[in-house]
Amino acid sequence: MQDHESNAIKLSYTPPPVPDVASQGAGVITATNLKKIYHGVAVLDIPFIGVGNGESFGLVGNNGAGKTTFFRLILDLIEASSGEVKIDGEKVARRDDWKSKVGSFLDESFLIDFLTPEEYFAFTAKVYNKSEGDIALFLESMKEFFNGEILGNKKLIRDLSKGNQKKTGIAAALISDPQILILDEPFTALDPTSQIRLKRMLNELKTTNNMTMLISSHDLNHVTEVCDRIVVLEKGNVVRDMPTNENTLKELESYFAV
Amino acid sequence: MYKALFKHHWLKSIRSPGYYKNLLVNIFMGLMALYFIVVLVMMGFMLPRLLREIAPQQDPAITFIGVMIYGMITILLFRYIMQPLSTLNLENYQILPIKRDVLVNYLLLKPLLNPLNYIILCLAIPFAITGVSPVYGTGGAFRFLFLVIFLIWFNTLLASFLKRKFNNLLLGMIVLLAVEGVLVVLEYFKIFSLFHLSQDIFDFLLGRSFIWIVGILLSGLAFLLNKRYFSKNYYPEKIDRKVKRRDANTGKFTFMERFGKIGELISLEMKLVLRHSRTKKTLYTAIFFLFYGLIFYPNNIYDNQHGFLMFVAIFVTGIGMIIFGQWIINWDGAHFDFLMTRDIDTQTYIRANYYLMLALSIVSFILTTPYFFFGREIIFYHLVALIYNVGVNIYVYLFAATFNTKRLELTKGSSMNMQGVSYKNFIVMIPLVVFPSMLIVIFNLISAIHIALIILTLLGLSGILFREPLLKIIEQQFLRRKYALCTGFRKKG
Repeated sequence: MQDHESNAIKLSYTPPPVPDVASQGAGVITATNLKKIYHGVAVLDIPFIGVGNGESFGLVGNNGAGKTTFFRLILDLIEASSGEVKIDGEKVARRDDWKSKVGSFLDESFLIDFLTPEEYFAFTAKVYNKSEGDIALFLESMKEFFNGEILGNKKLIRDLSKGNQKKTGIAAALISDPQILILDEPFTALDPTSQIRLKRMLNELKTTNNMTMLISSHDLNHVTEVCDRIVVLEKGNVVRDMPTNENTLKELESYFAV
Repeated sequence: MYKALFKHHWLKSIRSPGYYKNLLVNIFMGLMALYFIVVLVMMGFMLPRLLREIAPQQDPAITFIGVMIYGMITILLFRYIMQPLSTLNLENYQILPIKRDVLVNYLLLKPLLNPLNYIILCLAIPFAITGVSPVYGTGGAFRFLFLVIFLIWFNTLLASFLKRKFNNLLLGMIVLLAVEGVLVVLEYFKIFSLFHLSQDIFDFLLGRSFIWIVGILLSGLAFLLNKRYFSKNYYPEKIDRKVKRRDANTGKFTFMERFGKIGELISLEMKLVLRHSRTKKTLYTAIFFLFYGLIFYPNNIYDNQHGFLMFVAIFVTGIGMIIFGQWIINWDGAHFDFLMTRDIDTQTYIRANYYLMLALSIVSFILTTPYFFFGREIIFYHLVALIYNVGVNIYVYLFAATFNTKRLELTKGSSMNMQGVSYKNFIVMIPLVVFPSMLIVIFNLISAIHIALIILTLLGLSGILFREPLLKIIEQQFLRRKYALCTGFRKKG
């Protein structure tokens, strides 16, 4: 009975139609009337979302909620059925300008698996016009995160373990020192130590570089520890949008405990 | 047990997602196979007459058995290069209570069931009737066919043994070529005649009823060699080279990196070619095809078939572009999302591919300059072909590439792999080689080949002249097709 009641309460919750974000309209990333329809089914339907400068934006939701779709729309990897995404006020669709500002890692198609990690980092950095010195400095800063497993063992990326591939991809997303960072489930497949180090690293980047971050995760603990704002997606709709505080984790847990 | 394994293999091939979608390719391949069968059967009937012309003093059958060992070594070489190693997801089965012997036997015997291996019988059967039976009688003809089948088995098994043993395609290729080369030299200087040895052996065998025992012994020997290899290399990590840890070997292409982002992208593609088995084998195939002209240019029969000569000219001078051009963009499929989200603008990406193709056609052209010795006409044809390749074909390839949304699996497969190939690849061939050849044929009817050559040259030159607007059109096309490409490349298998 009790369960039923608490469910009823949850269902009666209606999200605010337009989330109340301080930086609304002037966000670094804005999505307006964004819709993605596959075979007549809307897999993503966002009237408006704005991500402010320096904000760390956490995206949670069950499988098929539209998290990756949202990220792919931001990165212009799929075409929106309607609406648009803007970065710094410029549309992303079929443009190249935004690419210099964004670092991203969604899945293994962001890796070039026939390169060694060193070659992959060098290639990525060169594309962003970084010098050899920049690369060396960057790799030095990643030393702790890599835990001695990525560099210098002459393996191709395709021969690395899933966890090490993930570390490689995350590092490559950071190599250009981006203004905006987009990571899809960065904690999955990482070992516990690396998960903790990644959290620490992201929090540092937030405070020192004022980096805007969009992070999706299935791990509610991690995402609430890193992000100051959590958005819950369900079947393509934003059902929660809240600033992180001491109650957020509990709220999320009760939301997902069905 | 064997039945189940073969059934799984069958299911795997017909349930692969590309099977039905690729129907057009399959039909095309079927037609090609039919064509080859017809050609082989006809050749089989013609062979006795042909051999009599070459060596009038002896029976065609005797000449034929004389070159049989040479033929075997040559076929072995081809097999060694082309024949894919039969694989089985061993680990899937190894954890089940199946005897290892069963798995190994299955792996070894599977290729013997491939009908493609027996296509040579299309030549052998007619020849057995028209060439062998007059000399050795009907019994001899049957013994000849048995021998051919056993030799196919022997060759197939030996090729996979050598392939596993050498573990390095190029090295094995060189060794086999060297062996054959030495034998030919010995033959030429009459030091040792494999020709006569081959004649003596097979002449002796064809007259004996125990020939099939020899055949079985030979195939058995090759089979046991394989078995011994497997018993020594017990664990799949030793058998399956993909599991084995490999040190990244290839050198850097630092010289390319001077050209900025475009250089970086081109050196990336070069690494891509050198670090995938499929592209590497394709590279060897391309090198092989450079010699394609040798079949036609020295032969006077083709002197008047100008359309055909143009076809050959475009083919050999553009071989690098023709073979790799159909994969351009498409081969970036596995890391396409990466390329699309980095700071590489569309212009840079398209241009990098353009320059890669340009380099490929220029290199192919330079490598085929020795053909100039076959006459002034060849020089003209090659030059026109180069201009046409650079001025027309590159753009056609780049434009067409935006339609090929199939993900190419580069880590597996051999040079004859059709995965990721669609009918679109064949449509592209029309402007590439068919159009110029047809043009020559048509103008030849009014004996004005020079006009056709001028038209082709002008087309090519205007393509070179209008490079910028043409590349702009391709960029726009690429942007239009970008999402379709992204989506297509994300689908695996």
